[in-house]
Amino acid sequence: MSGNTGQGKRVLNTFIRMRSLNVFIIFALLFTVFTIFSPGHRFSSKENMLVFLAAGSEYNIVALVVGMLMIAGEFDLSVGSILVFTSYVFLSLFNTGINILAALILTLCSGAVLGFINGIITVKAKIPSFITTLGAMLLWRGVTLFWSGGEQGGLDFTQNPVIFKAISGVVGGLIPAQFIWFVGITIVIALLIHYHKFGNWIFTTGDNKMAARAMGINTDAIKIICFVIVGAAVSFAAVMQMFRAATFSARAGDGWELKAIAAAVVGGTALSGGIGSIIGVFWGAMVISVIVMRIAYWWTFTVFGVIIVATAIISRVIDQRRAMLGADR
Amino acid sequence: MSDNKAKGKSASSSARTVHDASLVRMVDIHKWFGKVCALRNIDFHVNHAEIVGLVGDNGAGKSTLIKILSGFYTADRGEIYYEGKKVDIANPKVAKQLGIETVYQEQALAPHVSIARNVFMGRELTKILGFMDRGRMDEESMGAITKLGLRIKDPEAMVEALSGGQRQGVAIARVLHFKAKLVVLDEPTIALSVKESQQVLDFVQQLKAEGISVIFITHNIFHVFQAAERFFILSHGEALTDVRKEDTDIDHLIDLIVSGRTEMK
Repeated sequence: MSGNTGQGKRVLNTFIRMRSLNVFIIFALLFTVFTIFSPGHRFSSKENMLVFLAAGSEYNIVALVVGMLMIAGEFDLSVGSILVFTSYVFLSLFNTGINILAALILTLCSGAVLGFINGIITVKAKIPSFITTLGAMLLWRGVTLFWSGGEQGGLDFTQNPVIFKAISGVVGGLIPAQFIWFVGITIVIALLIHYHKFGNWIFTTGDNKMAARAMGINTDAIKIICFVIVGAAVSFAAVMQMFRAATFSARAGDGWELKAIAAAVVGGTALSGGIGSIIGVFWGAMVISVIVMRIAYWWTFTVFGVIIVATAIISRVIDQRRAMLGADR
Repeated sequence: MSDNKAKGKSASSSARTVHDASLVRMVDIHKWFGKVCALRNIDFHVNHAEIVGLVGDNGAGKSTLIKILSGFYTADRGEIYYEGKKVDIANPKVAKQLGIETVYQEQALAPHVSIARNVFMGRELTKILGFMDRGRMDEESMGAITKLGLRIKDPEAMVEALSGGQRQGVAIARVLHFKAKLVVLDEPTIALSVKESQQVLDFVQQLKAEGISVIFITHNIFHVFQAAERFFILSHGEALTDVRKEDTDIDHLIDLIVSGRTEMK
C-alpha cells in the first residue's frame, strides 16, 4: 500500500516537473474530446487536419517567438500589425516582379527592422514594452491601411512552383510544409534557449536583470535581439499566409498578439519573465489553435479568457512545487 | 605583516610608493557627487587572506568606496594599488580581471534558473558553437559549493528552492570558482535568520582558508564582529578608525559609530 502511494507520488512529481508534458496532455484531451463530439468524428478527418496543421502553424510560429521574448521579460503586442505590414511589403515586392526569393528575404528584413525599432525604443527609452508595442500595434496597422487603401490583393504563384511547394506544399500528401517549418523552428529555438549559452542569457535577463548585468551580460542587446527574432519570424508567418491564401487582407493578424501571449501562458511561460519552456509553448500554441479550429468564433474569446486565467493559476501552484523538485523541461 | 594600523588611520594625503604586503591599497580617495562630498581622504587597504569589516551607518560612504574599488565609479582623487602595482579600475570588467568580485544580495542570482546555470551566468562552459556543457557546469558548480562547505544535492534545482543562507552560499561559490582574490560581500546577512547568518560567516572563514581576502560590508557591527579581523569604520564620508580586533572591543566600536567622531589621541 505504502509502496503504491510512494510510486503514485513519484509519478505525480514527474508530471509536475515536466511542464511541457502537462500542456501536451491538455492538448491531447481537447483533441480527443473534439474528435468524439464532432459529427461523424469529422474533426480528425484528413482534410480538417491538413487545414489545422497548415493554418495553425502560421500562428504557432508567432506564439513560439513571443514566448521566447516573454522569457526575456518583454511583451510584443505588435505582432499582428507586423504581420499585416510585412504581408503588404511582400505583396508590393511581389508585384514589382523581382525574384521571389529576394522578395522573401527583403520581407524578413523588414520584419526584423520593425522588431529592432520595438527593441531599441524599449531598452533605450526605458519604457515598458507593453507601451512601446501597443503604440507599434496601432502605428503599423494604420500605416498598412493607409498604404494599401484597405484593399485586398491577389497573388499568383504559378511562376514559382518550387518555392511555393517549400513553403505551403504538402509533404507526402500528409503533412503540410507549414507544420514542418513550425517543428523545425521549434527545434532551433529550443536548442538555442535551453542548450545554448545565449539561452541562459535570455533566461537570466528575464529573471533578474540586475544579476545578469552584474555578471557582464548585455541585457539590452539580448532584449533587442529577441525583438528582432520576433519581427523576422512574424514576417515569415506573413509570407506563409500569403502563399496559402494567395491574397492580401488588411485584417490579417488581427488579434494575434493576445492569442500569442495566451499560447505562451498556457505553455507555462511567466508574464514576469525568466520562466518558460519552448516545448511548453509549442503545445500551448497547439492547444490554442485546436480551440480556434473547433469552436465557433464568438466562443473562442470566452474560452480563451477562461483558459488564460485558469492556466495562470494552475501554473503558479505547479511552479511552486516544481521549485522544490527541480526543473525538467 | 600588518604594521599599517597606525598608517591607515593617519590622514596623510601624500602619494607614496607602496612596497607592502597588502593585496589592495586605496590611497587618499576622494569622491564628490555634485557639491556633496561622499568620500574624503580615505586610506583603505586589505591584506592577503584577511577579513575586513567595513562598517558605517547608511550614507557613510561604504557603497561608494566599494563601487570605486569594483569599477562602477571612478574616484575624483586618489590612487589604487593592487598587489603593489598602481591600477586604474575604469569599469567592472577591469575589477573582475584583477580578481575583485562583489556579491550583492539582491543582484546576485536569478531565482528561476538552476544553481549550476547561476554559477556560470555570463561565463557558461561551452562545447561547440556556444552550446553549454551542462555536465561540466553541474560538476564544477557542485565542486565549488562543496568546497565552501555548503550541502546541496542537485545542481539542477532552482535557486528559488534554496534558503537565504544557501543562496548566499551559491553566490559565494561562484566567486570562489572564478578564482577571486578579493571578495566584497555587501550586507550579506541583512535579511537572514541567525542560523543562516552563521552559515554565511562560515563561508567567509572558508574563503579565508582558500587564501581569499574578504571585505564584509554591514551597518551592523554585531554581524561582523565575530568574523572580521580588522574593522574600518566610515562616517559621513570620512574614516573614523581602522583597528585590529585585538586592539579593540565591541563596546568601543559601538561608541565610535554612535558618536560619529574620530578617535582623539
